[in-house]
Amino acid sequence: MHYLSLFWYYMKQYFKSRMEYRTDLLNGIFSDLIFQTTNLVFILVVFQHTAFLEGWNKNEILFIYGFFLVPYAVFGTFFNLWNFQEKYIIKGEMDRVLTRPAHNLFQVMLETMDPPSLLGAITGMVIMGYSAFDMGMEIAWYDPFIFLGLVVSAALVYGGVYTGIAAIGFFSDSKTGITPMIWNIQNYGRYPVNIYNKVIKFILTWILPFAFVGVYPASYFLKKEEFAFYLYLTPVIGIVFFFLGITIWNIGVKNYRGAGS
Amino acid sequence: MLRIEARGLTKEFKSYKSRSGLMGAFRDLFSRNYMNIKAVDAIDLAINEGEMVGYIGENGAGKSTTIKMLTGILKPSSGFLRVNGMDPHRERENFVKTIGVVFGQRSQLWWDIAVQESFTLLKKVYRVSDAHYKRHMEHVIDVLDIEDLLARPVRKLSLGQRMRCELAAALIHNPPLLFLDEPTIGLDVLVKLKIRDFLKEMNKEYGTTVLLTTHDLSDIEALCSRVIMLDEGKVIYDGELNKLKEQMGSKKAVFVDFPYPVSLEKLESVTFGLPVSWSQIHPMQYRGVFRSEDLSVSHLLEAIIPSFEVTDLSIETMSTEEVVRKIYEEGFAHV
Repeated sequence: MHYLSLFWYYMKQYFKSRMEYRTDLLNGIFSDLIFQTTNLVFILVVFQHTAFLEGWNKNEILFIYGFFLVPYAVFGTFFNLWNFQEKYIIKGEMDRVLTRPAHNLFQVMLETMDPPSLLGAITGMVIMGYSAFDMGMEIAWYDPFIFLGLVVSAALVYGGVYTGIAAIGFFSDSKTGITPMIWNIQNYGRYPVNIYNKVIKFILTWILPFAFVGVYPASYFLKKEEFAFYLYLTPVIGIVFFFLGITIWNIGVKNYRGAGS
Repeated sequence: MLRIEARGLTKEFKSYKSRSGLMGAFRDLFSRNYMNIKAVDAIDLAINEGEMVGYIGENGAGKSTTIKMLTGILKPSSGFLRVNGMDPHRERENFVKTIGVVFGQRSQLWWDIAVQESFTLLKKVYRVSDAHYKRHMEHVIDVLDIEDLLARPVRKLSLGQRMRCELAAALIHNPPLLFLDEPTIGLDVLVKLKIRDFLKEMNKEYGTTVLLTTHDLSDIEALCSRVIMLDEGKVIYDGELNKLKEQMGSKKAVFVDFPYPVSLEKLESVTFGLPVSWSQIHPMQYRGVFRSEDLSVSHLLEAIIPSFEVTDLSIETMSTEEVVRKIYEEGFAHV
């Protein structure tokens, strides 16, 4: 409860500081909208030219992509940890975080959160809506709730993996090239995993489970029976990887050496 | 009650020595000369409730590392540590509710928004009730004289204004123990005075214990009766500031100015029998070093005045600054 009200206060703080700079705010909103629109048009156009892939039709692939954008947007809003090492470890902001009575990861997440990323979810929903309509997908009354649950699970998968990776910053004084590498791998999770070879499929399922962000949960709506097992596993993987991420993070905090000065 | 209790507190950092040159850098890739550096080496501390203690030492002596251990940021490598009756690192989230921290080089406040907004958020983070906040912070804001700054964004404040707000921010939850790391760095004299008065006031009013690191020894002279001096990770002095001066302070000396040139022999002959040694600065000014504590300035003057006219007389004493500089340069062993 306390954390919920803190979240709310940080959120207000975020918008207050954004509104301090009027032109900047307008520019931000404008460029975010332009970005999402181009993204949308780009995806639709690209997929118009995609042929069938191993038993997946265009609409299904488009739907998976649209689904992926939603947890990705949620993740991008709350786990904006890309610059964590530089800002918090090298510049020593972590010192301040550690002297305040709330979980340090929670504080870092709230301080770095980026609500405009949430706009990506709208793009995702539009794409999903478009392809679902094209496929003539039937939607039951409880589907929105399942969708919500799957989005949260998928966002937790991302959150866990990237929290763990950001925590590497605690152990190393210099920037590591791991984040861009993982980011490249993550892109494969947007497409049906059975088009890849076995090794990649294994990695995307069990090591860096990015398939649980796109294709597995989306298969619920696409009625792909062959993924049913993975579909039910989605919340489990989400929770397991999130806790794994937090554990690595906590070990990192124990190892924190502090910046000079 | 002891606010801070440490026994054998040690922090080791593992680091490696780089070899020189490109070839050396290449060899470093394969084998590194690791070594353990003791940033803080088995120090003992005992600080009582309500004390104001100055923590001094050269750059790199281990002050910041100690503060970071005491505030729970760093985990000690070994040793016993209790602050406010808790283990700072292990119980950190609970522990930090009982301390306030100001890092002079780092800001607590949100850069883009008004000071007031930062206070509101911190009040939430520390779960301070409205009534408590009002009662306590009104006083703090009043003493620090920051009422007019509250509505201004932090980025528009001067360093001195910001620093006062930082102090207020660190005290929102009225902690019984306050850590200040270089709080007056880069501030002008007036702001420094204001901050000192404020700290004294908090200490008097709430019994706030203060541990202060600074390079400005006048801060310590004004605030702290006790100093702890650190060198290469070890405590080399812990006690009253006055005693430190007495121990280190060299002998008293006077400068005497005459309106006309005076010869050294004549001066020595009139003060013959008194424990003073003269040296000539120039023919009209002499420096006399007292060889004994028993000699008083009036005695000396009594001996000189019948024979010479004296235009000016100044007594030389060593400032704390000089005492400390001498310790840094020569080490404590010389005392």
